[in-house]
Amino acid sequence: MSDPMAEIRASFFIECEELLESLQDGLQMMDDGDTDSETINIVFRAVHSIKGGAGAFGLDDLVHFAHRFETAMDEVRAGRFHPDGEAIRLFFTCADILGDLVRAARDEGEVPSDVTDPVLAKLEKLVGVEEEEEEDLDFTPATLSLDLGGLGGDLPDLGGDLPDLSALPATGAEDDDALPLMADSAELTAAAPIGTEPLDIGAPEAVVAKGFTVFFKPEDTLYASGNEPLYLFRALRDLGDISVVAHCGDLPALDTLDPDTGHLSWTVTVHTEEPELAVREVFEFVDGLCQLDITPLKETGAPIAEAPAVTAAAEAPAPLPPLDFAADLPSDLSSAPTAELPPLTPAPTAPATPELAPAPLPETPMAAELQPMPEAAAAVPQPAPKAAAKAEEKPVVKPVAKSEDEPGKPAASSAPAKATGTPTQPRATVRVDLERIDRLVNLVGELVINQAMLSQSVTEAGLPPNSPVSTGLEEFLQLTRDIQESVMMIRAQPIKSLFQRMGRIVRESSASVGKEVRLHTDGENTEVDKTVIERLADPLTHMIRNAVDHGLESPEKRLEAGKSREGHVTLTAQHRSGRIVIEVSDDGAGINRERVKAKAIENGLIPADAQLSDSDIDNLLFLPGFSTAAEISNLSGRGVGMDVVKSSIQALGGRISITSQEGKGTTFSISLPLTLAVLDGMVVRVDDETLVVPLNAILETLTLTDNDLKALGPETHVVQIRGGFVPLLDLGAELGYRQPLDSYVGGIVLLIGQEDGNRAALVVDAIEDQRQVVIKGLEGSYGRVPGIAAATILGDGQIALILDPTDLVGQASGRTRTRQPQPALVG
Amino acid sequence: MALRDQLRVMVVDDMSTSRGLITNALDSYGIRNVTSAADGPSALQKLAVSPVHLVISDYNMPGMDGLQLLHALRSNGPTRGVGFLLITGRADREIIDMGKRLGMNNFLKKPFDPARLRAAIEAIVGKL
Repeated sequence: MSDPMAEIRASFFIECEELLESLQDGLQMMDDGDTDSETINIVFRAVHSIKGGAGAFGLDDLVHFAHRFETAMDEVRAGRFHPDGEAIRLFFTCADILGDLVRAARDEGEVPSDVTDPVLAKLEKLVGVEEEEEEDLDFTPATLSLDLGGLGGDLPDLGGDLPDLSALPATGAEDDDALPLMADSAELTAAAPIGTEPLDIGAPEAVVAKGFTVFFKPEDTLYASGNEPLYLFRALRDLGDISVVAHCGDLPALDTLDPDTGHLSWTVTVHTEEPELAVREVFEFVDGLCQLDITPLKETGAPIAEAPAVTAAAEAPAPLPPLDFAADLPSDLSSAPTAELPPLTPAPTAPATPELAPAPLPETPMAAELQPMPEAAAAVPQPAPKAAAKAEEKPVVKPVAKSEDEPGKPAASSAPAKATGTPTQPRATVRVDLERIDRLVNLVGELVINQAMLSQSVTEAGLPPNSPVSTGLEEFLQLTRDIQESVMMIRAQPIKSLFQRMGRIVRESSASVGKEVRLHTDGENTEVDKTVIERLADPLTHMIRNAVDHGLESPEKRLEAGKSREGHVTLTAQHRSGRIVIEVSDDGAGINRERVKAKAIENGLIPADAQLSDSDIDNLLFLPGFSTAAEISNLSGRGVGMDVVKSSIQALGGRISITSQEGKGTTFSISLPLTLAVLDGMVVRVDDETLVVPLNAILETLTLTDNDLKALGPETHVVQIRGGFVPLLDLGAELGYRQPLDSYVGGIVLLIGQEDGNRAALVVDAIEDQRQVVIKGLEGSYGRVPGIAAATILGDGQIALILDPTDLVGQASGRTRTRQPQPALVG
Repeated sequence: MALRDQLRVMVVDDMSTSRGLITNALDSYGIRNVTSAADGPSALQKLAVSPVHLVISDYNMPGMDGLQLLHALRSNGPTRGVGFLLITGRADREIIDMGKRLGMNNFLKKPFDPARLRAAIEAIVGKL
């Protein structure tokens, strides 16, 4: 059995990533001007939860930092500190460091204190909190007596062998009438009356109000969060005599009654000396969950309860809108109101503890109180005849004296059990080991291959296309595709996590070059294959840095150009015709084409007299070692250029392009396949072997003529294509399938575009097909095979190798340089 | 039969890590009848069909905090007598006082080790 603590620890770090994500989200919302308390709470809670979990695992560094951060956020939450842009930027930094600390804890690394301490110092200086001494809180635990332990009649006695339990006195909230909060707070505030003396100029005999009229209409969420109007009324009764008018006008006919919605409202007249605050406090916990109007009574003891009640009822709002949340309740929950009932009656114990004999305790006060319930429930339809639905108001007045028996539970309290008011209800998810998914992906790959083989057999068997087998196979094909897509979707995840990391890159890089930059993101819920996301991080980081460093101007220059001080970098993701398109754009100065061209000429990348279109010039940026920044900053000038970005994108089967408008900005656009599990390939034949060349590497195909070929030696040829020379590579000879041909005239050539901008002409014997193939890795069995990316199984069951053209050409040119004539033999 | 064999406990915490930690600790004391909920409303839902003796709840949760849950439990007949152990990240006087008024049985400050959790539970229900 695996160590449960290790598992919990592992899940803690996963949970931390989720919390860090919502932390970033919350800060972003705050940065966008959202001052909603729930937003601040999200931020606070994320930090708080990370701290809590970290404490349990003794991750002291993390706890220490999180605690300080939490304290600062608590100041914000309490309204004692109002963060400005600078403060929020600091919070972002804290969030970044918190993330570093989480990952350091996970990987048993360390974040040096010279990173954390200055930030903490800044935080404390800015927010101005002092580390408060944690006071020693005295609290006497309230022992649970048997009275309290038995939950109605349905839980068994805790056992005769535990006499001490029942013998102990209960010290918590004990008697059934006590709502300690209500009672206490009413007493506490009674001494400080606020606004209890409304002046009525027109009525000289106006006297101090001796009570209030309370109109109370619960929202459905009130019931959902476990509140019960009855107890509120009871608490009101503690303030003085009350009379209650129930408004049943909204009650629909029984056959249309939705038991999950509330239909009742009440007007309660409270005769009390207490201030309005005391009445309000009764409703403290249902604040926001109900419509509440409290008006002081105009005259002492005037029996005006009915008047406002009736008007209130007459103006009762339209029937409740249909509850859409009922739809997403599982069916068992929608029956919650009835499910609520059984345990209250002395029902048998739930099957979870079969060994415990059901011990109904009908004589307990609990059970006695529950008794009226079924009656009440049964009585509900009675005051609601069909006529009542037609707004015919018949208020049911029932004065409630202090000593009177409890009225039955109103039907409306049988509420849906799900709180729709809960702001962030997380979606139900399952965590699955990536390996398991990959196994599934593999199996589906097999399925696709098998299906292709079956199709081929059927075609070869000469069955007519309208035969049942053929049509059945067609459906099978469709299903296979759907399954494949669905399985790929499991591996997909929102690109959001990656985008959030870019937020940090923008903050850090803009700070280091003294620019003011705001990152905008769009389409962050676009789902992309997990591996693609991981491998996109580096190129995207580089592009973002580039945008901040080279793309955007300094604040001064921006102002001069009539732009805002603050530069904008936009990061978007979207699905477009079966691919993912990611764009990084800035609103900077655009590409200075003259400078780019001059630089390219200076570096010998293009001839001085080259005639280049704007787009040609823009694409020069992807050439290796290209850099135009006049002074190399410590950001982008790291020897990593856009050429590396391009090759990383191409390695993912993607393409990158650039558009730029002088003075307006630059946009880099990356287009990626949805998955790394299938590939668009060109199926070619060389000697007797079938090979697959990735389609995205092929620029064009052509047939060689005598004029195209130039020999540079006995075994070295180049192909002349539109004025340029491209080295010729005989694939058959290169892979050791056969000897080099004597003549390549009439040969079929695939023009391969390489990531370094170089090209190569790949000679093949025939082009057979263009199709999507399922990638089967070879590295598990054979290790890394030079020139070969992977393998696939074709429809006829044949195994075909998938070429890695870049690697292949690199191998060949390396060999040419080092004069190694012996071709590598690859099986 | 020992108390721990009969005691039914519900753990309420929005962090699955915390639920796991507490459940794991309870397991180590031999308390096996443990259910859990990720938020107050679903806790109330589950308690309506399957009551427990003791609720161990986190304070800081989205939507409905631990004290609001306690209030809901205490103002609802069938659950008003349930034992309630509040777990808080910060030992805040206000929280504790409010908890007292609402009839909280005990509280425990994070971080805690299994021994302290056990002591906090035993202070409510007696020797396990």
